[in-house]
Amino acid sequence: MKGYHSVQALYGEDRLTKAKIRKNGEMVEVPIAEALDLVASKLKETRDKHGKDSVAIYGSGQWTIPDGYVASKLFKGCLGTNNVEANARLCMASAVTGFMTSFGIDEPMGCYEDIDNADVFITWGNNMAEMHPVLFSRMTANRKRRTGVRIIDFATRSTRTSQAADKSILFKPQTDLAVANAICHEIIGNGWVNSNFVNEHVSFHKGKTNIGYGIEDNFAFTDKDEAISFEDYKLFLADYTPEKVEKISGVSAKDIKYMASLYGDPAVKVTSFWCMGMNQHTRGTWINNLVYNIHLLVGKISTPGNSPFSLTGQPSACGTVREVGTLTHALPHGVVMNEQDRKHAAEIWDVPVENIDPKPTYHTVEMFRALDRGDIKFMWIQVTNPMVTMPNLKRYRNGALKDDRFVVVSDVYPTPTTDVADVILPAAMWIEQEGLFGNSERRTQHFGQILTPPGEAMSDTWQIIEVARRLGFEKQFPWGQDNYIEKIWEEYRRFHSGPKHEMAPYKVLRERSGVQWPFVNGKETRWRFNPKHDPACSNGKDFHFYGKKDNRAWIWARPYEPAAEFPDNQYPFWLNTGRVIEHWHTGSMTRRIPVLHNAMPASYVELNPEDAIELGVVNGEKVKIISRRGEITMPAQINGRGVPPRGMVFVPFFDESYLINELTLDAFCPISKQPDYKKCAVRLEKA
Amino acid sequence: MMKRKEQWNRWVVTAAALCCLGIIHFSLDRAVFAGVGNDDFDHQSGKLYRAYDAVPEPYLAADSGDRNLAGFYELRQYPGSPPRIPHAADITFSGNARDCLACHAKGGYSAEFAKYIPVTPHPENSLCYQCHVQKVTDERFVQSTWQSITPPRLGLSFLASSPPSIPHSLQLRENCIACHTGPAAVVEIRVSHASRGNCRQCHVPTVQQEAFSEFRRK
Repeated sequence: MKGYHSVQALYGEDRLTKAKIRKNGEMVEVPIAEALDLVASKLKETRDKHGKDSVAIYGSGQWTIPDGYVASKLFKGCLGTNNVEANARLCMASAVTGFMTSFGIDEPMGCYEDIDNADVFITWGNNMAEMHPVLFSRMTANRKRRTGVRIIDFATRSTRTSQAADKSILFKPQTDLAVANAICHEIIGNGWVNSNFVNEHVSFHKGKTNIGYGIEDNFAFTDKDEAISFEDYKLFLADYTPEKVEKISGVSAKDIKYMASLYGDPAVKVTSFWCMGMNQHTRGTWINNLVYNIHLLVGKISTPGNSPFSLTGQPSACGTVREVGTLTHALPHGVVMNEQDRKHAAEIWDVPVENIDPKPTYHTVEMFRALDRGDIKFMWIQVTNPMVTMPNLKRYRNGALKDDRFVVVSDVYPTPTTDVADVILPAAMWIEQEGLFGNSERRTQHFGQILTPPGEAMSDTWQIIEVARRLGFEKQFPWGQDNYIEKIWEEYRRFHSGPKHEMAPYKVLRERSGVQWPFVNGKETRWRFNPKHDPACSNGKDFHFYGKKDNRAWIWARPYEPAAEFPDNQYPFWLNTGRVIEHWHTGSMTRRIPVLHNAMPASYVELNPEDAIELGVVNGEKVKIISRRGEITMPAQINGRGVPPRGMVFVPFFDESYLINELTLDAFCPISKQPDYKKCAVRLEKA
Repeated sequence: MMKRKEQWNRWVVTAAALCCLGIIHFSLDRAVFAGVGNDDFDHQSGKLYRAYDAVPEPYLAADSGDRNLAGFYELRQYPGSPPRIPHAADITFSGNARDCLACHAKGGYSAEFAKYIPVTPHPENSLCYQCHVQKVTDERFVQSTWQSITPPRLGLSFLASSPPSIPHSLQLRENCIACHTGPAAVVEIRVSHASRGNCRQCHVPTVQQEAFSEFRRK
């Protein structure tokens, strides 16, 4: 739907084509060179006056790979600050920490071909019918063509995916943790453990508990892992009998046993899919770990159709944010804390190794808190719209608007984020520039330039290069406009050389419609950790989980802990937020596509029909939603495409006229620092 | 703009002659609360998935050329109204109405009519005669000046390569498979890719009730 019409997103009447700067409170058009001069001088002035960590860049999973790479090189390599973050922190961070803690290396072991091989699909809090429609259709087409294919939707609200599924199982928010443990309890209790696999390839661990929610400023948390035995793990699971978990989760013991039996049946290939439901979760890392636990106990992993599959929400969340490492702790290869990784980066970047600070600074929520506090005074925002997407939005908007904060925004249309900007830089859209991106299945793809950007718009990569040169880093940013993408790619590729992460050369990427890494001796890798497919396996066994030092995948004992905020007498409803099929995130592009705006012109609040009767509202009538942080009045939708259970409301966040994030809570997973947009408490009034 | 809305209401009221009361009531709600749009029926998309799963792939792809759009509209007073029954049927209202579904629930070939049988998109509604009527005379009581609205244009794509939008309401027509695939489908509205089952992944419902207003920042 969106892809077919996306080209119309280029033609909105209010496209930004000229740079603007704030003069006496008014935004006035200036030549882009003047705006870039101002960005560079303001950055330098702020850095000189307030120190290197007073400037920051905030990007996106829609940054191209070159965009993210030059941002990291300029800020981490040249300016020496780890104030580099991206909106993927709000979207994929728990998936990353899930992979790192369970496997020691990021990104899925499987690929989309798993869909053509699996017998059972279990979607964990994941409305694929709307959010991953193409993959979803591949799944339903497989169900139609092959016998015995089943789809189980395990979710907190009934969606199109639930309707398509053979079975829809609803659970109470946050209790996926308990259900996942109960499934493991059943697998062990029924003797369905794949002992050969577990003995050869798995080790058991536990971490800290009662780990907090990060609601307070400067919250810090470091997990500590402790090896445990299989017996210890079994003892830990004793609390999670299906009968006990039924009471917490609202999922019947029968349904828990049914799910366990699907994972446990050695004749059935199971693929689990998840996305924001598990990642935007104050225990996001844990629930990622727990689903891996299930697959690891039964050995259903890294083979066609047996796949715990973490889906990505943005085109290049994997390619740019996870692989280039545009997060405060990361480098294009490895992390800033590691001396070897710093040396490696400094060498490729041609900067003194001392430039790279070994201490991570702020993750996204804390970065915006630092902007509010004044610890950060200069922020450059590219390709994203945080003034719609930040949780607890009012605080961060007020912060950005404070007098001595300087905010630069590169974008293609005016948004609530350009509203807080001191400089607006007009950006090129995707086919107005050359670039590369990387998707969920480790596939890197090249795209060529088809159109000329309008007016003075230029690619985000080139904007950064222009500013870097103005700051005196010509040596690190020497490329010409005719081939800078190729040069950047070939430089970046050096970071990943080696069989675990080798990337395809520019020439190959231009020829093919995407290449899956590791790309070794001209061959792509479809299933990692499996020696039949993965050239990095070297232990001579049937699998090799080489990410961890013990060459094993880790099963974690992670308990159920409640959400940061949950319904009570004063605020008796859960507020859940998310997307709709018609719009990308904040709709800054898709709302300018006539057919999509026409189909989905405004946001709404989904109510359970019985709650609606109790409240006395019918379809389309206004409902006031009130949380501890803000309130909003919007039309009700009853029996729409999604139906929440009693005691929950759902609001799509794409509509800047209804800023639902003014109500959400900025609590996050202490390990991944990813906020939970799916759970806070509200009360309702008929408006 | 208001005028168009009134027309829409009258359009719905006209339907009163043929439709059951409950449905009219619902349609009026929709007209009053425009903006909530087609989503009122969206929660019934399960029907679409079940139909897709139940119909064998060769049947989905089969084409007989039996029906065309002219014949399709000939059976309807206006686009969106229930088609009349074009063949003899025993209308007794005595409980055997389900007989319609013996043929129209699943389709297949009818030796009697030497044609493939059209499939109803709403087999769960079994009181067929409540909306569908027979024609027993060509005569009129008095002449009428009724003029139907123009049927939606075919191929309402927004771009040369983009999929056409859905030009009709989804009420009682949530199941795309029934009318747009199979050998009984009207040739002009048969899809070329009958094996794809998640129709609303690409096709956007856009029932044009008023002039398109572009998104503008407030």
